[in-house]
Amino acid sequence: MKNILYTAIAIGFCLGLGKLVNFYFTGLPSSLYGMIFYCLLLQLSWLNPEKISQANYWVIKNMGVCFVPAAVGVINHFDLLKHHGFTIVLSIFFTTFVLLTFVGLAAERYLTDPDEHSN
Amino acid sequence: MLIDYFNAFPYTTSDIISSLSLSLLTLLLYQGAAWLQQKCQFIWLNPMLLTIVFLVPFLLYSQIDYQSYRQATQFIHALLEPATVALGFPLYQQIKTIKRHWQQLISLLALGVIIVITLSFVATMLLIHQTDIAIALSLKSVTTPIGIALTEQLSGDSSITPFAIIIAGFSGALLGPSWLRLLNVHSKIATGLAIGAASHVIGSIILTKQNASMGAYSSVALILSAVLTAFMAPLLIPLLIALFT
Repeated sequence: MKNILYTAIAIGFCLGLGKLVNFYFTGLPSSLYGMIFYCLLLQLSWLNPEKISQANYWVIKNMGVCFVPAAVGVINHFDLLKHHGFTIVLSIFFTTFVLLTFVGLAAERYLTDPDEHSN
Repeated sequence: MLIDYFNAFPYTTSDIISSLSLSLLTLLLYQGAAWLQQKCQFIWLNPMLLTIVFLVPFLLYSQIDYQSYRQATQFIHALLEPATVALGFPLYQQIKTIKRHWQQLISLLALGVIIVITLSFVATMLLIHQTDIAIALSLKSVTTPIGIALTEQLSGDSSITPFAIIIAGFSGALLGPSWLRLLNVHSKIATGLAIGAASHVIGSIILTKQNASMGAYSSVALILSAVLTAFMAPLLIPLLIALFT
């Protein structure tokens, strides 16, 4: 219970800082500034990672439910999907495989250690 | 005074009940779907996808429009912000790997982000001619909370983003490893980074089950790509919009 409260306060504090930065400098969404602050405070050992890990894992495991209200908005786009659904899916497939190819080939060329092969 | 307060309060009792019921229904459906996935251990049973598959017909049948549903479940949507902050913990856990290869990783993934945003945006504008959809589709290679936050910030259509993210996730995660082998990409670091950059969390989960080391590289790529996209998309997308207007 103590650790849940600790994690909630830590996340709330970082989100508050993020909102402050977003208010004065805009740029990134406040939650992303908050994420960077959270990582920074952990790296500086101002936050205890052991106290945070369990509640944080629970938050990440269940965060999918927060996307549902936005995703249900697809209900307003049946016409678009009826007319362009195939094009949209094809475009997503194509660009995903372009990215896979680029990162895969470039990383194989520039980042591979000779003794680090999967086979 | 008390009466005035209640008169001024914008929600009626039925509004509150409807809001609570819709929120509860969403939470229960999600928990049920998550339980089903855990029981069957089948990645295609994505809890978010299943919840939407059940919710959309229910809303259509009950004649509840999207605006009412969105208003009723606004507290669930509001939790997205703290949940995004929580992603700072896995970022902290991968700091050592990032430090070791930071120059190559950042340049490679930054180039990847530029390529995928530009290509997706241009393709959508040429084929569909809708800026809000082009913004949503160009942010499909990052993890969902960041994709939604950026889409909303850039005035894109955030209802399309989660679907695009799921399709990108599954296509890359399931077909990506075979595709990479076909391209003669065999190292763990290259496979992990490519899947993480293109298929974010879904790719990472599937890859971790096959090989823990590939999974770790994949989560490095998904986190770094998300951070790089967050910095680059607000600069790149307005430029692309200007190109088409």
